[in-house]
Amino acid sequence: MPSMKGARIVALAMLGIAVLVSSCDKSIVEPNASLPPVEAASVDANAGSWKMIVLSGPDQVVVPDPTPVTGAAYQAELQAVKTAQANMTDAQRAAVRYWTGAGVLRWNEIERELVARYNLPPAPRADGSYPLPDAENPFSDPVFPFSNPPYAARAYSYVSVAQYEALKAAWYWKFRFNRLSPARNDPAVATAVAASALPSYPSEDAVLSGVTAEMLKLLFPASLEEITRKAAEEREAAILSGRATASDVAAGLALGKSIAALVINRARADGMSTAPGNPAMWKSLSDAAAARGETPWQSQETPARAPLLMNFGTVKAWTMTAAQVTALEPGAPPSTSSQQMKDELATVKNTIDNLTRDQLAIALKWNDGAGTATPPGHWNAIASDYVRDARMSEVRAARVYAMLNMAMHDVAVGCWDTKMKFFNPRPAQLDPSIKTMIGLPNFPAFPSGHSTFSGAAATTLSYFFPQARASFDAMADEAGISRLYGGIHYPSDIREGKAHGTRIGEWVLNVARADGAN
Amino acid sequence: MPHCAPLLPRRRAKRAAVPRHLVRLATALAITLGGARVLSAQTLEDAEMLQRREVHASVTYASEGWSEYWEGTLRRSNGNVGEVTTQSVGLRVGVGVGQRLTVIGSLPYVWTEASQGVLHGMSGRQDLTLLAKYRVANPLIAGRVRLKLLAVGGLSTPTSDYTPDFLPLSIGSHSKSAITRLATHLQDRTGWFFDGYAERVWRSNVTLDRASYFSDGHYYETNEVAMPDVAMYRGTLGWQRGAWCIPVGVSAQRTLGGADIRRQDMPFVSNRMNATTAHAEVMYFLPRTSNLRLDLGAAHTITGRNVGRSTAFMTGFTYAFHL
Repeated sequence: MPSMKGARIVALAMLGIAVLVSSCDKSIVEPNASLPPVEAASVDANAGSWKMIVLSGPDQVVVPDPTPVTGAAYQAELQAVKTAQANMTDAQRAAVRYWTGAGVLRWNEIERELVARYNLPPAPRADGSYPLPDAENPFSDPVFPFSNPPYAARAYSYVSVAQYEALKAAWYWKFRFNRLSPARNDPAVATAVAASALPSYPSEDAVLSGVTAEMLKLLFPASLEEITRKAAEEREAAILSGRATASDVAAGLALGKSIAALVINRARADGMSTAPGNPAMWKSLSDAAAARGETPWQSQETPARAPLLMNFGTVKAWTMTAAQVTALEPGAPPSTSSQQMKDELATVKNTIDNLTRDQLAIALKWNDGAGTATPPGHWNAIASDYVRDARMSEVRAARVYAMLNMAMHDVAVGCWDTKMKFFNPRPAQLDPSIKTMIGLPNFPAFPSGHSTFSGAAATTLSYFFPQARASFDAMADEAGISRLYGGIHYPSDIREGKAHGTRIGEWVLNVARADGAN
Repeated sequence: MPHCAPLLPRRRAKRAAVPRHLVRLATALAITLGGARVLSAQTLEDAEMLQRREVHASVTYASEGWSEYWEGTLRRSNGNVGEVTTQSVGLRVGVGVGQRLTVIGSLPYVWTEASQGVLHGMSGRQDLTLLAKYRVANPLIAGRVRLKLLAVGGLSTPTSDYTPDFLPLSIGSHSKSAITRLATHLQDRTGWFFDGYAERVWRSNVTLDRASYFSDGHYYETNEVAMPDVAMYRGTLGWQRGAWCIPVGVSAQRTLGGADIRRQDMPFVSNRMNATTAHAEVMYFLPRTSNLRLDLGAAHTITGRNVGRSTAFMTGFTYAFHL
């Protein structure tokens, strides 16, 4: 065995490599941890006239007149800005860099994290029942909320719409008062980016901090401390970056909070409190399906769990009436006893039994299950990359998220209404030999939620970023087919879901086209 | 793992070497909660050195199951998986490169299933491990106890494109790893022996098929997952006489970082997976062919964190010969 000597060298080298490798760096770098400072292509001076969604008009909440920039009070504020800038800590510098990546983008990122954190279903009790998360007792087990896809769709939409309303109002008052930024009033004030022509009173950063924190505290009350700290950090960064003085910030904060209160009034009355449904409703949905001669959906969880937010289909939509929601819904799925359903079931079975590694990767990529930002969050993340590169003003960026998230909320309402109306079983129920490559969502199959969300999102985003239309459409198709690869949806769920989403997306774009922002 | 060598002093047999070792619960201990123990799986744990040009080839089968697991520190069952079973067939070859250097390689094929719920089992070739054991010292103490000190280093790498993102049914962590270990072996003339080691396993980051994940209180928007290193400690007391060798011991795996499984969440590849496991084996040298050995083993996880409360059984044959 002549290679013994070589083997000895190899073996000793392995010892050495093992020791050396042990000192390698494993830190994780997230691509968007540092964003370039946004220098908007346009200040969007007319945004104060863009159409409102919840508010009656941009001046529904009145901002008091600012003090003159020549006055002693304002001069003292400028001095305070310069003093603060001269004494910045490293942490403050980091915060300035973080928030100059744009507030709307950052808050969307923060919300995705909150959704992921709270996206866990309640654990069963010992008796096999499931407790409901309680907004009045958010810290207990289960924590409130369970930010599942419909909850998240609604949450993203409320934050985005509130931000959009508040920023339009801020723009209205900014250009009405035309108080220049600190750096333009005093060249000695340092700026993180070139001083913008955007007037500073009220501060857009403070408006965003106020409106967003109030909305997030409603939606994720157990994270109140974290939300409050982030909002305060954003306001401080506005001053340290030379974009605002104390009175700009105070006026902005007040405006943001007041507008949040108006949007919260809508949220409290939109039907969400009854969205979880009840055992009687569960039984009647099941009985109705059986009376039509269909096999009703059954929970595949042990112990059986009520279908997720079974009454979400009655929650108020943003852009349409309940009748309009129904009118755009898909028709009935194939009967559970039909040949078509047998064929589709065989397709699912065949797909799972012959799944390739690439197909598994697609199923996992779009899984968006427990502990994730959900499919709507996934599409917000996709949108963020385009918003980041588009050099938009804050108010224009907020418009993109508002339209995207209104579309995804409205389609969630229609999708859930359809799911409960037909109460169609999942493949694994009709054929127990079908095992899934991703978690099986605990609600009826038809239509596919992923597909409806994705159809709506791709349609909406294509309007704002038309150069990427083909890419968005391909992503929507991939998101849809991922549910077949996962073994949790029939082809018709996916096809009808995407078509439903596309219809809703087009509907919402009629709002965008008429809002005066083009 | 202990070695079941003949009594001291060690003989330089000219015939086919007496099978003096190898085998462990390796694969059996290997995979608990979806790869929690993958590293120990490839850790060939004995302190035995083969003679120059001596080769040991083993085939093992292991089956491990749990119906309770620790969600963080909460011990619970889960009706959506029932009992999770991991089975494996492993191949292992050890070669004595010199009197002071032994090299071992191992490769298991692993398949998993859940007895309840809808989740699909997974299967595939798992990780190839190569380990080099270098005997640092070998003194005889007080004329009757042989002390052996070993420095062990190794590398492990996945051999197929399995996903680590489907725990508890993934077949492993899909992490590359580097193993460094200090091992000791004490054996006296009456047949009693003690094996012990301390080990550090460096694990490479792993890549998911998705662009984001939640771990340790933070939502990471990247597909790369930082993998905490792992420390392993193991102590075994054994007795060997004639054709029988019976080692019994305890091992402790401590993951040096990582988050707990959150309430009702799925396990995640970088979780803090800890386990304290009792293990026992019976090795029997088949009488008619002295260089074939039958191994039987069992292990039970006494306490853990983010791992299954598993019970494992292993069986295997080891064949020894000289090149």
